[in-house]
Amino acid sequence: MCAMSRRTLLRSGLGGYLLAPWLSSSVIAAQAGRNNPAGENIPDTGAVAAGLTSGEIVLGMSAAFSGPSRGLGIELYRGATAYFTEINQRGGVRGRDVVLKTYDDGYQPDPCVENTMTLMLQDRVFTLFGYVGTPTVARILPILKKFQDQKTYLFFPFTGAQPQREPPYGEFAFNLRASYLQETAGLVDNFMALNRRRIAVFYQADAYGRSGWAGVRKAAKAHGEMIAGEATYKRGTKFSGSMRMQVEILQKAKPEAVICIGSYAACAAFLRDAVDLGLRVPIANLSFVGSENLLKMVKQGRSDSRRYTDLLVNSQVVPSYHDTSIAAVREYRELIRQHNPQAPRELLKEEYTPFPYSFVSLEGFLNAKLMVELLQRLGDHPQRSDLESAAFSIKNFDLGIGEKISFAASRRQGLQRVYYTIVEDDRFITLDNWEQRFS
Amino acid sequence: MNIQKLFQKTLFGIFMLFGLIGVSTSILCIYTVDTHLSKEYENNSKGIAKTIADSSVDIILNRDLSVLQSLIDQFVEIQGISYIYITDESGEFLAHTFVPGIPDQILSSNPFHMDTVERHLPGVGDFVEVGSPILAGVAGTVHIGMDTGFIALKIQRAVGQQAYLISTIFIVGVFAAIWFVNLAAKPIETLLAYAVKLARDREQGISQGDKILARKDEAGQLARLFLYFAELNEVENSSNATAEGNV
Repeated sequence: MCAMSRRTLLRSGLGGYLLAPWLSSSVIAAQAGRNNPAGENIPDTGAVAAGLTSGEIVLGMSAAFSGPSRGLGIELYRGATAYFTEINQRGGVRGRDVVLKTYDDGYQPDPCVENTMTLMLQDRVFTLFGYVGTPTVARILPILKKFQDQKTYLFFPFTGAQPQREPPYGEFAFNLRASYLQETAGLVDNFMALNRRRIAVFYQADAYGRSGWAGVRKAAKAHGEMIAGEATYKRGTKFSGSMRMQVEILQKAKPEAVICIGSYAACAAFLRDAVDLGLRVPIANLSFVGSENLLKMVKQGRSDSRRYTDLLVNSQVVPSYHDTSIAAVREYRELIRQHNPQAPRELLKEEYTPFPYSFVSLEGFLNAKLMVELLQRLGDHPQRSDLESAAFSIKNFDLGIGEKISFAASRRQGLQRVYYTIVEDDRFITLDNWEQRFS
Repeated sequence: MNIQKLFQKTLFGIFMLFGLIGVSTSILCIYTVDTHLSKEYENNSKGIAKTIADSSVDIILNRDLSVLQSLIDQFVEIQGISYIYITDESGEFLAHTFVPGIPDQILSSNPFHMDTVERHLPGVGDFVEVGSPILAGVAGTVHIGMDTGFIALKIQRAVGQQAYLISTIFIVGVFAAIWFVNLAAKPIETLLAYAVKLARDREQGISQGDKILARKDEAGQLARLFLYFAELNEVENSSNATAEGNV
């Protein structure tokens, strides 16, 4: 959809919203019917629930489908779509198909804000789902507060940052994954246990990077240490970019471990240059990095890729997709194989070859599974206003990964566990023994 | 186009005057734009620093630092602002916009120094830095760096526009002066030609019937005077000849 027409529609949507109290319900229903091609299916029950017809529940997603971080949005979408497709083929959620309305924000805050306004005011989706990134999500939280009477929530964003986990915006979001504070604390604790006390941070110069930096700082302080050194890069940096200056800055700090808070292209470039310049210390990445994409870039055109990955450790917020002893992993692998979902063609500006399986798509799959459970709990007449209570009704729920999920007013994060992975035989496996690997 | 020798000094004077006006106006313009723009940017930056300082209090005390980073990331998009950094009460950097890292010069500076300072950051550029305390300094400080290169570019543009205008006026003025000089010199040329013709005609005994004698301007008056003096001279010459014959 072109920017101009979207702006025009956005204005009409905003106008409709502002004028809503003065319009009769029939006018609002007619407006909803115009905006929704399936408007004729709207049940004749008086009030029209947004993002809902007798045949569909529409969820809104803004994510990176273009740019150097597009692998994150595409993989997350693929995982979620695999599960939604399966549910829809089985008859949907109480007779309604789950439809994912997607927009590309390129992992940039301003387009994400625009997409969110479009999803909320023009598309009038039922709720927001599966957003990608901290700088993007941090900017749309005030929109949710501004339109809080619409009861639109953000479900299961792909970010572990704090803004959507704490006041004043925490009440408008539900998270599934563990936080960056938990991921960074886990990494720092393990490095400290190995007596690697000088920890440096390489991070993206934005809200995401700062969130991870703050996590490392807090965890290091708990051990009586400070961050030994830090270097930054600009969001959107490509793998072809040089990270020589960043490596040199960190080398001066003589670190015993480096924690990277970034996305795969920049972190792969840093890993490449760090190894090439002789920085031989463990280099850790957070779950957001997109592990498979990082590994693919590092391996590209190299016969000796092992020397780039033997000191690499990535934290994850979902279990390994190789571990088929886990029920949800088996289900994920089966549905991904069966449906082989692809990214929305209209959003793809650059070529992207998806991975058969990935941590990010597994997370998308688990997000979708929990979302469907939540929608089921809304009953036959879903209302946005019931979303929060439906989420709070989830207690000790098992997604099939062996960790129970509960939500409450003071608990808006489902999973708490952090996993650690290393590269063996060109694939990520679970790290069991830190001492053996990094001592 | 012939410029008469009589007016060459006048033209030179006009060139000199225009040159003087051009140079002095440009110098005044550079000074005024430089002073005003620098002051304006400094004041704006101080205002932004104070705004960030005021809105940072709640974030620093109650919220995640990613919110603070998100805040300064939005301000650093403003044209002319190159970097922002925030320190806590101990001087530790809580958020900043430096890539690939915090420059050594800033790391070694005193963050509680609030006066405007000029900084040269090797490999980065020249900056004017302003500061503002957060909660009177007990919660930290905010510093904003403005790119002096950006201000210089603005000055260059303003001066360039001024120079362009003056050059245009100068060129138009030169052509206008040449045209006016020629216009003023034309009656003199006619008069000169008449005087030459009068002398030749008198020599050959041809009577006068020139149009110039009918003109009512200074050239006509001078022509009639020349004719008068020529005729007077002829009368004197013929009287002298008669007198000599009588002798």
